[in-house]
Amino acid sequence: MIKLRRLERRYPLGKEKFFYVLRDINLDIEEGEFVSVMGPSGAGKSTLLHILGMHDSGWAGEYFLAETAVHHLKPKERATLRNEQIGFVFQQYHLLDDLTVYENLDIPLSYRRYSKGERAALVADMLDRFQIVGKKDLYPSQLSGGQQQLVGVARAIIAEPKLLLADEPTGNLHSSQGEEIMELFRKLNDEGMTIVQVTHSEKNASYGKRIIQLRDGWLVRENR
Amino acid sequence: MNDLKFAFRQLRNSPGFSVLAIVTLAIGIGLNTAIFSLINDLFLRGLPFKEPSRVVHLFEGDKSRDLVDIGVSAPRYEHFRDGQTLFDGFAGENFFLFTLTGLGDPVQVFGGRVTSSYFDVLSVRPILGRNFLPQEQEGADVAVVTKNFWQKRLGGDPNVIGRSIALDGTAHTIVGILPNMPATWFGANPIAEVWTTKPFQIPGFTYERMMRGTSFLRVVGRLKPNVTLKQVKAALPSLDQSYRTQYPNKIDSSLVTTAKTLPEDVTENFRAGFITLFAAVTFVLLIACSNVANLLLVRFSGRRREIALRMAIGASRAGIVRLFVFESLLVSVIAGGVGAFVAWRLVPLVPRMASNFLPLEANTASSLSLPVLLFTIGLSILTGLLMGLYPAMQASRADLVDGLKEGGRGTSGSIRQQRFRKILVCAQVALSVTLLAGAALLITSFMRLSQQNLGFRSQHLWTGAITLPTAQYPDTASRQRFVEQLLNALHDVPGIQNATVSGDTPLNGGNQTLYARGDRDLPPLEQRANAPSHDAAPDFFKTWRIPILAGREFNEHDTADSQRVVLISQTGAKKVFPGENPIGKTLLVTSAATPCEIVGIVGDIRSQRIKQEPGMEFYLPWSQDNFPFVNVAVLSPLKTEAVTKLVQSALSKVNPGLAIAIPQSMDAIVAQALGQARLMMILLGLFAGVALLLAAVGIYGAVAYSVAQRTGEIGVRIALGAQAADVLRLILIQGLMPVVIGLGIGITVALALGRLLRTQLYQVSPHNPALLLTTAIVLGLVALSACLFPARRATQVDPIQALRTE
Repeated sequence: MIKLRRLERRYPLGKEKFFYVLRDINLDIEEGEFVSVMGPSGAGKSTLLHILGMHDSGWAGEYFLAETAVHHLKPKERATLRNEQIGFVFQQYHLLDDLTVYENLDIPLSYRRYSKGERAALVADMLDRFQIVGKKDLYPSQLSGGQQQLVGVARAIIAEPKLLLADEPTGNLHSSQGEEIMELFRKLNDEGMTIVQVTHSEKNASYGKRIIQLRDGWLVRENR
Repeated sequence: MNDLKFAFRQLRNSPGFSVLAIVTLAIGIGLNTAIFSLINDLFLRGLPFKEPSRVVHLFEGDKSRDLVDIGVSAPRYEHFRDGQTLFDGFAGENFFLFTLTGLGDPVQVFGGRVTSSYFDVLSVRPILGRNFLPQEQEGADVAVVTKNFWQKRLGGDPNVIGRSIALDGTAHTIVGILPNMPATWFGANPIAEVWTTKPFQIPGFTYERMMRGTSFLRVVGRLKPNVTLKQVKAALPSLDQSYRTQYPNKIDSSLVTTAKTLPEDVTENFRAGFITLFAAVTFVLLIACSNVANLLLVRFSGRRREIALRMAIGASRAGIVRLFVFESLLVSVIAGGVGAFVAWRLVPLVPRMASNFLPLEANTASSLSLPVLLFTIGLSILTGLLMGLYPAMQASRADLVDGLKEGGRGTSGSIRQQRFRKILVCAQVALSVTLLAGAALLITSFMRLSQQNLGFRSQHLWTGAITLPTAQYPDTASRQRFVEQLLNALHDVPGIQNATVSGDTPLNGGNQTLYARGDRDLPPLEQRANAPSHDAAPDFFKTWRIPILAGREFNEHDTADSQRVVLISQTGAKKVFPGENPIGKTLLVTSAATPCEIVGIVGDIRSQRIKQEPGMEFYLPWSQDNFPFVNVAVLSPLKTEAVTKLVQSALSKVNPGLAIAIPQSMDAIVAQALGQARLMMILLGLFAGVALLLAAVGIYGAVAYSVAQRTGEIGVRIALGAQAADVLRLILIQGLMPVVIGLGIGITVALALGRLLRTQLYQVSPHNPALLLTTAIVLGLVALSACLFPARRATQVDPIQALRTE
């Protein structure tokens, strides 16, 4: 599913001096895997996730997603590939405050080629699947953190991505809410979705099938 | 005091905001002050007469014969003077151009022949000497002059009373020096400097002809205390009726008298124009206010932490509001000062552009008077409150706990503020499109007006006027001899291609003269048609380049003793002789129904106003019909000043005691005739331009701020799959939505306000759909450009950065 070769991300510090966030990353993730990325703050976990999610394009090296050489794609082609393959869950949920739950779920679909009818059906399915039909007209500020993240996950998978990227998805939740989200991830993974999550929590990492350790931008260890 | 100090400090600490807000408001306040200053000079200051509202101006008219606000005849004046009971005093003036000799070169001075009561009715007290006495009205050669005349022409001689000046060759004894009369009193006419008596003598008219009812007097009356204009208007029909009964055969017996107060009379021609201009600058100020209100909203909202802190240590909401309103007031008061300075520099430009048609004196219009300054101060305070209050109240609603947290989002407040910002943009667009539509209408109207075929060619044409003293030129024959001599003298001058004289010049008058067909029953006087008539010497049509369409021009064989002849205009021929050839037919002209043979048809000209559609006009040979007022026209490629010297030199050879008055090029007269329309077009165009600029800045500011505020949201959208086109569409749709609503409201308002402009338009409907659509498109494009820059910036949002900030 994902193949990274000699991947590197750096920022200029001065004349010919750079600050390296990621160095010489070589990584393979198979389809259907559930991978947790761990490491101390500043290790490059979120940067790696944003590169995988194609939010960041200032990297060097090779990145293959589903056999497609991302490093050769133009920005528009990358955006199309991302929209086809990837869903993203954020630590701070990042629901749009001015939109209802229903409208928040509809947003990713509005940026993809779905007809109005298809969008309505998919949103209805998702509300049903996540058991939040009763909350469809509420605004994010009217939901608890766990409920907001639930909507965040629903929004990430509504366009049926093959790869789900999650950046500390339970970081802002208390433990029972966190468990609920992680159970949901496990279920999605069991259904065949590839998941890569960034987490600080050993417990959450244990939901995955593989753990990758990053330190100072280097991939230091892989546990299966 | 502390609040004020703090407000000062806040402004000093944000020079960018302060300068932008002050400049924006100063433009609005400055333009308002400038226009108010002109309105104050023209409408509010009032004439420097005692209780000017008690002075009433009487006019005659007959709408069915297209006679509006013409003068009053001598017999009607006497009838009204003796028959009325509502006025303390009654007076009349006959505007006149005198030739002044004996004080250096002969010069023409403007003035009038007035009844002895004239200055008493106006309540003008002399500085020196006295006003006219009743016994001087008909017999004495006496004069009063203005202070300006006294100082400029008589060297301020302290012994001036009793001194003699020669007016039209007759010695007149100066009996009084008057204060300078206000420009507004003379309307578009030149300011008068000298007055004599004998108001009922019209040079070139016999007493009998004058008493037939020729309308020529400007009649004023001073109302008795507690008598209203309404009472006067109610009494006029019975006075008209009694005049009609007593004098059924006078030319003016069927006319209807109307009355206006003096302030109403002297300003009515400019009223509609200035209402439009004042509305326009008010719009500009409102747009400026909404721009600054938006800036204040952003600024105050950005200080949520400060507000929360102040509240946490005990400040009340009212205290917070007061603090912010102080800031807003401070901005507006400083802007008021800058605006007053701008107005002080702008106002003197208007009399310079408009001295020919606006009765403004350069010195008064250039100084900002106390009422104008009070207006500016009041406007500044009102502006400060208007734009500051809502943003202050909004900002003071900040949630204390949320505000104290760095980065607290306060979502609901921002929704309210977003809505307010959208309303501001909507209002700005509505105001701008209304203003733009008005400007577009006036520009189109001016273009149509300036493209009118005047019927003559003004290029290289010079004109000037000469008043012939009645003593030297008492009759038609003597005036004909003078003209022959003058034209002969001009004929020999190198540089002059053609020269002619006439009783009036195109765009500048023509006497309304009665006429009737000779081959039909002669209608009674009150039913007889009238049209402008012109006395013209040979070569008139050649010099003015008016085509002779049929028949012939006047020539040397048309003398006082030969068959009386007349030329009529093309439209007149079609109107009076439809389907017939008028050449050889007889036209009965003047109240005496003098038969004249029609010998030619000439092209139509605009003889009175550019706006006036061509109609019946007729031309009589100077040799057969003339008055002591000679208008000389010279065709020459030389400059105006050079031609004036050549004509004055030729005139001196004929009569060294005569002078040329108002020498100017015909191009200048045409430009002057277009002047008011041009000024309106320039000013409204300027205001609309400023409005457009401010609106563009306002829209840009609102959209840019919205983009800045929504960076996080845009980042999320990009992270969720939004591409550049999606973001661009999102920002453009949201930015342009209030613009579209504003355009709709603005066009509706423009349609409703169109009637305000109707009187100022020429051949353009105030509801012209093409113009309104063009205006909407122009504003729409400007708004689109203003949205496009921040929208493009939004597409370049880095989602990682945005999400991290969020």
